[in-house]
Amino acid sequence: MTEELVMILDILRGTSYAMTPLILAAVGEIVAERAGIVNIGLEGIMLLSGFMAVVFAEMAMNPWIGVLAGIGMGALIGLIHGYITAYLKGDHIISGLGINLFALGTVAFGIEAVWGVRGYYTPPLEAKVPIIPGIEISPLFIVMILITIGTYYLLYKTSIGLKIRAVGENPEAADVVGVNVELTQLLSAVYGAALAGLAGAFLSIDWLAAITKELPAGRGFIALALVNFANWNPILALGGGALFGFFWTLAEWIKNMAAIKAIIPVTLMNTIPYIATIAVVAGLIGRSRPPAHVGRPYKRE
Amino acid sequence: MPRNDTIVYMKDIVKVYPDGTVALRGVDFEVKKGEIHGLLGENGAGKTTLMKILSGLLRPTSGEIYIRGRKVHFKSASEALKHGIGMVHQHLALVPAFTAYENIILGLPGKVIDRKKIEELMETTGLKIPLDAKVEDLPFGVRQRIEILKMLYRNVDILILDEPTTNLTPIETKELFETLRNLKKQGKTIIFITHKLREVLEVTDRVTVLRRGRVVGVVETSKATPEMLAKMMVGREVVFRIEKKPARPGEPVLVVKDLWVRSDLGGWAVKGVSFAVYSGEIFGIAGVEGNGQSELVEAITGLRRVEKGQVILMGRDVTNKPPSELYRMGLSHIPEDRQKLGLVLDMTVAENSVLGIHRLKKFIGKLLNMKWKNINVHAKKIIERFEIVAPGVRAPARSLSGGNQQKLVVGRELSKTPVVIVAAQPTRGLDVAATEYIRKILIKMRDEGKAVLLVSADLDEVLQLSDRVAIMYEGEFMGIAKPEELTEEQIGLMMGGYHMDQLKNTSSNRKVLEAS
Ligand SMILES: Nc1ncnc2c1ncn2[C@@H]1O[C@H](COP(=O)(O)OP(=O)(O)OP(=O)(O)O)[C@@H](O)[C@H]1O
Ligand SMILES: [Mg+2]
Repeated sequence: MTEELVMILDILRGTSYAMTPLILAAVGEIVAERAGIVNIGLEGIMLLSGFMAVVFAEMAMNPWIGVLAGIGMGALIGLIHGYITAYLKGDHIISGLGINLFALGTVAFGIEAVWGVRGYYTPPLEAKVPIIPGIEISPLFIVMILITIGTYYLLYKTSIGLKIRAVGENPEAADVVGVNVELTQLLSAVYGAALAGLAGAFLSIDWLAAITKELPAGRGFIALALVNFANWNPILALGGGALFGFFWTLAEWIKNMAAIKAIIPVTLMNTIPYIATIAVVAGLIGRSRPPAHVGRPYKRE
Repeated sequence: MPRNDTIVYMKDIVKVYPDGTVALRGVDFEVKKGEIHGLLGENGAGKTTLMKILSGLLRPTSGEIYIRGRKVHFKSASEALKHGIGMVHQHLALVPAFTAYENIILGLPGKVIDRKKIEELMETTGLKIPLDAKVEDLPFGVRQRIEILKMLYRNVDILILDEPTTNLTPIETKELFETLRNLKKQGKTIIFITHKLREVLEVTDRVTVLRRGRVVGVVETSKATPEMLAKMMVGREVVFRIEKKPARPGEPVLVVKDLWVRSDLGGWAVKGVSFAVYSGEIFGIAGVEGNGQSELVEAITGLRRVEKGQVILMGRDVTNKPPSELYRMGLSHIPEDRQKLGLVLDMTVAENSVLGIHRLKKFIGKLLNMKWKNINVHAKKIIERFEIVAPGVRAPARSLSGGNQQKLVVGRELSKTPVVIVAAQPTRGLDVAATEYIRKILIKMRDEGKAVLLVSADLDEVLQLSDRVAIMYEGEFMGIAKPEELTEEQIGLMMGGYHMDQLKNTSSNRKVLEAS
């Protein structure tokens, strides 16, 4: 194999990892927002779920138990967020903010309480999700692709998807024909948060194989932005996420080259994936159109 | 009391909204199977509230409901639907971003979705719609047909229509009535909410009249007269004819020269229109809706770009000037879509009553503090003058009934002491008393020397009020004349695209032919 080919394969593999958590969280959030529920707590969910994934994977010495724990943790938070926003008509942003703050405090404390270390812990190899031999990528990458396609199908090809989208566009119209608006919103919020939880588990017991209190490093917020860029469409989120992952990996590569390091500051290099993605996506998609009733509580009387 | 052919019986219904508003004070309501039953009442009488209770969207505070003799307690709209009750709402409950087809099947389990059946239904009822077009691209009349089909597809046999004709053109209204009669023949029961007497008399079998949350009477339509219904509804005699002194026009105040304006879709909506409105006259624009009237008004009031031509207000060129500047110069605008352009629904009645004039010294202090006392007095004055039914000046505009929201906007705009009034569909959705009042005010404004530009799809209204009238068709004026100089037939032809010169030509041609 030539050196160039090795390099290209390396970057593509890196891309497959970098894009997975973003797309998982974004696709989940797309479903929630299509039903009208905004969850800005994705970052917090990833962190909490990443933590729980390590705890359970280590306890069972089985990474899949860890993955399930991460999903479960996310679903639980989604349930709370969904109940507050859909049933109690609470403010979406406040509730999401609460999730983020809660996660920050809990995980920083949790790492110390569970493992007696400060801020950083590496789980044993047995607790890590194995790589697919031969192609050397994560099985969760494949799962992510399947979930994305499945979610697209759910939203656009099934009557359930029609209900979800109707609730986010005009809850009254859905209400009038007997759709249970609150329940639809609750379940969508749970689905969205569960996928963010899976993304968190992917970070801690797969890709990075470590838990720190900065585990998501802003990926939850990038996922939120991706939802917008992708115009609330899972397939476009897949494309946008891949693009971002690619530029991100590329930037990681370039900034470690001695020749480049000397002239361009690393912090400037870090902005490349963002700028490049925005430029490409903005050019391709143009104006996005959010669900008409997103983020607002639905009250009948 | 309920008999065998009674299909709906509501007994002693009381509804108190969470904010304390008593909307219904013990209403008995009975509908017979297979009839078209009118529910008549002024703005805020409680018509919508009563029907939302019947269709499961609201729960009554107290009272009983019997459907086909059986007592029911609806907890949601879907339960009412299971009993065959469906409601088509005043503002239509459709998802604009969905296709017609998607809206019809929304909420149904996959098993029962059958496109063929919908197409068959379209055949048998005559309700033709483009199934795959997005609702937001369709005109109001078509959207309403989608709503009706949606209900029929759910096997609804008690169909409730809330003020269905408000946004329809005269032709669409005729078609709707045809559909309703057709549905009645197929055995459906129809409840028709309105405050238009003519419609009640034309299409219903019986009428229940509501006033301020109480039933004032139930009558057989065949035995009813408009005067009697109006009196029941309003509680006093209503004058149908408008008294009008001859106009004494002065200077041209609003001049429009060769105006070209685009529609949202990019085509030309207004194609080189020119006219002048003089002080002391009402200049009316008639025509079937959707012929560029909305775009013309928006261009004049600074809400839409003028591509070519000029708008001159009191001698000053104000083409493409921002609305705020026009308002300062004394332009007052009663917009067509009052919910969207006229009100901030989540703000209070008092706040809405000073929107746009909140910078007046009367309302704002030196420290930019709002003078609430004065604002509340101002709001109360509007409520009183326009007989707005509102829980108070602090209530959110959202809690007012549809018609009362409209009165609030109209009241505010007319309280501005304007020089020019642009009124687009000023009485749409308003009840008899409010309509009468607003028409009188427009005439009073004219007599005080103000220039009034009136755009209305209600032909009677334009012809009665206007001193001069223009008929608009596909973005152009077919002619400008005094209403009394035109015959009904001529107006009809002009609304259908014939130029006034052509009409004169044809009649004189005919004379020539006869002579030879
Ligand atoms: N959500 C609400 N909260 C509080 N009060 C309300 C609400 N909706 C309606 N009301 C009040 O209840 C009364 C009846 O309103 P309703 O909408 O039933 O009138 P309506 O007869 O349909 O009038 P319109 O012809 O103007 O539509 C009004 O006084 C209105 O202000
Ligand atoms: Mg109403």
